[in-house]
Amino acid sequence: MGTVCVGGVYPAGCEKKRDTAAHSLLIGSGRGVFIEITHRCSPTLKWLTTSESFQLSRVCDIRNTVGNVPMEWYQDYPHIGYNLDGKKIFKPIRNKDELDEFLDKMENPDYWRTVHDKTTASDIRLTDEQVDLVHRLQKGQFGDVNFNEYEPSVDFFTNEVMIHPVTNRPQDKRSFIPSLIEKEKVSKLVHAIKMGWIKPRKPKETTPQYYDLWAKEDPNAILGRHKMHVPAPKMRLPGHEESYNPPPEYLLTEEERLVWEQQDAEDRKLPFLPQKHSCLRAVPAFSRFIHERFERCLDLYLCPRQRKMRVNVNPEDLIPKLPKPKDLQPFPTTMSLVYRGHTSLVRSISASPTGQWLVSGSDDFTVRFWEVNTGRCMKTLEVGGAVKSVAWNPNPAVCLVAVCFERTVLLLNPSLGDRLVVSSTDQLITAYEPPEEDKEQAVTWALSEGLEHNMGHRLTLTHPKAVKQVVWHGKGDYLSSVMPDNSSNLQVLIHQVSKRRTQNPFRKNKGLVQCVSFHPLRPYFFVATQRYVRVYNLIKQELTKKLMTNCKWISSMAIHPGGDNLICGSYDCRLAWFDLDLSTKPYKMLRHHKKALRGVAYHRNYPLFASGADDGSVIVCHGMVYNDLLQNPLIVPVKVLKGHQITHDLGVLDVTFHPTQPWVFSSGADTTIRLFT
Amino acid sequence: MSQLQTRFFTDNKKYSVDDVPFSIPAASEVQELSNVINKLLEAKNGSHSQIEFDFLVRGQFLRTSLSNHMEAEGISTEDVVEIEYVERFTAPQPEECMMHDDWISSVEADSEWILTGSYDKTARIWSLEGKAVMTVAGHTDVVKDVAWVRRDGLTSLLLTASLDQTILLWEWNSERNKLKARHCCRGHAGSVDTIATDPTRTKFCSGSWDKMLKIWSAVATEEEEEVEEPPSRPRKKQKTEQLGLTRTPLMTLSGHNEAVSSVLWLDSEEICSASWDHTIRLWDAETGSVKTTLTGSKVFNHISYSPLCRRLASGSTDRHVRLWDPRSKDGSLVLLSLTSHSGWVTAVKWAPSHEHQLVSGSLDNLVKLWDTRSCKTPLYDVSAHEDKVLCVDWTDSRLMLSGGADNKLYTYRYTACETDAGA
Repeated sequence: MGTVCVGGVYPAGCEKKRDTAAHSLLIGSGRGVFIEITHRCSPTLKWLTTSESFQLSRVCDIRNTVGNVPMEWYQDYPHIGYNLDGKKIFKPIRNKDELDEFLDKMENPDYWRTVHDKTTASDIRLTDEQVDLVHRLQKGQFGDVNFNEYEPSVDFFTNEVMIHPVTNRPQDKRSFIPSLIEKEKVSKLVHAIKMGWIKPRKPKETTPQYYDLWAKEDPNAILGRHKMHVPAPKMRLPGHEESYNPPPEYLLTEEERLVWEQQDAEDRKLPFLPQKHSCLRAVPAFSRFIHERFERCLDLYLCPRQRKMRVNVNPEDLIPKLPKPKDLQPFPTTMSLVYRGHTSLVRSISASPTGQWLVSGSDDFTVRFWEVNTGRCMKTLEVGGAVKSVAWNPNPAVCLVAVCFERTVLLLNPSLGDRLVVSSTDQLITAYEPPEEDKEQAVTWALSEGLEHNMGHRLTLTHPKAVKQVVWHGKGDYLSSVMPDNSSNLQVLIHQVSKRRTQNPFRKNKGLVQCVSFHPLRPYFFVATQRYVRVYNLIKQELTKKLMTNCKWISSMAIHPGGDNLICGSYDCRLAWFDLDLSTKPYKMLRHHKKALRGVAYHRNYPLFASGADDGSVIVCHGMVYNDLLQNPLIVPVKVLKGHQITHDLGVLDVTFHPTQPWVFSSGADTTIRLFT
Repeated sequence: MSQLQTRFFTDNKKYSVDDVPFSIPAASEVQELSNVINKLLEAKNGSHSQIEFDFLVRGQFLRTSLSNHMEAEGISTEDVVEIEYVERFTAPQPEECMMHDDWISSVEADSEWILTGSYDKTARIWSLEGKAVMTVAGHTDVVKDVAWVRRDGLTSLLLTASLDQTILLWEWNSERNKLKARHCCRGHAGSVDTIATDPTRTKFCSGSWDKMLKIWSAVATEEEEEVEEPPSRPRKKQKTEQLGLTRTPLMTLSGHNEAVSSVLWLDSEEICSASWDHTIRLWDAETGSVKTTLTGSKVFNHISYSPLCRRLASGSTDRHVRLWDPRSKDGSLVLLSLTSHSGWVTAVKWAPSHEHQLVSGSLDNLVKLWDTRSCKTPLYDVSAHEDKVLCVDWTDSRLMLSGGADNKLYTYRYTACETDAGA
């Protein structure tokens, strides 16, 4: 602290002194005085020098007129300012060094009241009055000794209301009339409120508002996992058997104890042996403590700590939307008629193209003809073997039934239906003229005569091997027979009835042939071997397609009347639907049957197909094929028809649809044929 | 137990009671109500003997308890219930059993004789007492339908239709028991499944598997009509095997898409036919055009028409007997379904003298007697047959007949109430 500034209002006494001591070093206006004191060593000494300077100034009245400028400016000059006369005040010759200063301090008794005046660069010795003044100011007292600061106050303008006014001025007029400015302001506010410019204050909510500390917390943050807290697995509470004195029924008997001891630790029902102690005092230390703690630690350590995010999917949404079977009527629903008469299992059935008759071939060596709507057996024909397959000629203008048994394919004229058709069929058979050159054929054609002719036999085709299946072409002139044989290329033969000609279409053996079928419209021929269905073009004589069924062993096959779809039944309980335009893999696999499928069939007019299986049931499905090539077939299972009894592990052996009505026939191993409508 | 306010009334003056409301327990059934009426009648007339009554609430037979019935029919139990009572139709009594050699395909009886067609290729004439009078043999295949044409004293004309595509018109003298085939009606290209004689007894109509209906003259004449011969068949051979003179149809009605299963005359100008194509068609017999088509959802097996109530009953390849109004122009509405059979309904026949009763035969071996006022439960089940019932008939002389696949023709005697018969 280089300087000390003392400011204040000089009291009256001070003024007096100034008048008498014109050589006061205090410079300034009438209101304040600034004293600049350069202290030497200690504040006590400072005051000495100040009084000293006062003394000095009184001796030689030098007054500097430079004003309040830093004295450093005059450092390099010989003078220090100008006196009142404008003469230079020269710096006194200072020869006092540090030693003199010290000696002065030691010896001079007024050293403490000597102050250095910078403006005149002279030491001034303060007088006793000046020292007193400094002391008083230091104490915070008034400079004037005579000033009494505690004089009693006179309350001129009291707060108490007096009876007389302080002033006698009459009241203004404006204090009686309402303020126009205020009125204008209020009307402006009212207008603003009306116009909605000013909104009234919202009422303050009375419910206390709290700051949600965790509102914006990130669940993935370190603290976030507290939310995903997985509680530790709970410990089982001790039961009665863990008591020190369990009820006797919890105590193990001797045999139980032996069993317990022989068991592995994991197999034991209880991890300890319940023990009985007479009193708590007799209970020993818990021997399993470490063991139990260890297991608990293992439990905690192996407890799954991750929460599994379960996908919330309504299971019903996963089911494909299928129309209700009720909307897909008509389809067969109930068993209506049972055709009884066969004495052994009925292998094959076929309906006449008009739908009036049904033919069935059975293992009892007979072929029976039935009237469909009454269940009447119209005809029974004995043939010389178990009938493997029957097929009614699909041409309504021809009345012929192909029957195969053992090595023979027999063409029968059942003489049912229109007499004209029956006789024209006979004429068709007899009108044959043998060609000039006789070619060697794989089968022998023989015309039946006499008794056999009366029975209905017309032509007998004797094959070299046992025949399993016969099938007609849609036009009714060609028929194909299947002789399954793994080792020969002579498995499939195509016969032409009108020319009595037989062809072997295949040169190579591609596997055991299961069944064959003609395309209903185009010259294609379907051959099903154990695992594949091959489609041949009969005109180009080439393989067109090979369908992979993914089945172990195909049992039956049916072609959709449109010709672009095909179903295959297999012995491994599957039914494969192929869309021939789509792919060579199954469009759909149906696994509805519990046992091997034996027969499949399409309806000629209705969008229905049926499959019969060894579980004794016939499953009818709605199989809609759309003309629009972009739309895939719609397959909906609609009905399970039960009725056949399972005999020797065989249920339904063949199914076929009525040609015009939505009825399905099924033949079974229980010697019956059933009609479901 | 809750009580119901009821008022009993009847058309039969003999059994009328006072027209005052009675309070009856709501749970009471037919037997209890019958007892009530008998009590009342006894109180009125000391010489009254016990009679079984049947009760009708708003035209429906009471078959369950009164409260159940009213709940099912939606009748308010607050008001006084009007209950009509009639004498109970007594159960038809089995009378005769006529054994055939084979299945009976058809039966038609008139007031004196019964005519049956059979699968043994013959038709038979029986007296009402069950005596075989005559065997009509001539067809080469199953006889599918038979019909009486007319009777002039002792001489009768009758028709047999067969699977061999012909209909034979026979003349039978009952006194001398002489039978003569008069005409052989050729023209159908399928089995003739149904024939019906028109009300004037001069024409008949036949329906066949070849989807055609043909109208023929039923008058026996001496000259032979010219037939265009099938060119393939030698004329001589045909001559030898033919019985009677060949007759050609007067008119052919084509329009059905499937086999015609049943045909009948509504009146002398109108033919009604039912077919496998799920339709019943009404034809104008003069012009041969279709007038109305009633479309069902199942194959029709048999139809019957009652001039008393002007309703058509149909049996189809499901469990229901359906009633139709053939005159309705606004589409094909089934008026009522009578449901109790468990197999195909193969034959239906209206009662000749009762507007509410009909009889139906089914593949479930049962013949059921129905009253259209109780469509859930038949009046009586007749379970005489051991195999499929194929035909039923009903004569004016209180005789019901049914034949079936058990080779038996049963006749049942029934007694109709006097009042109902006249209704």
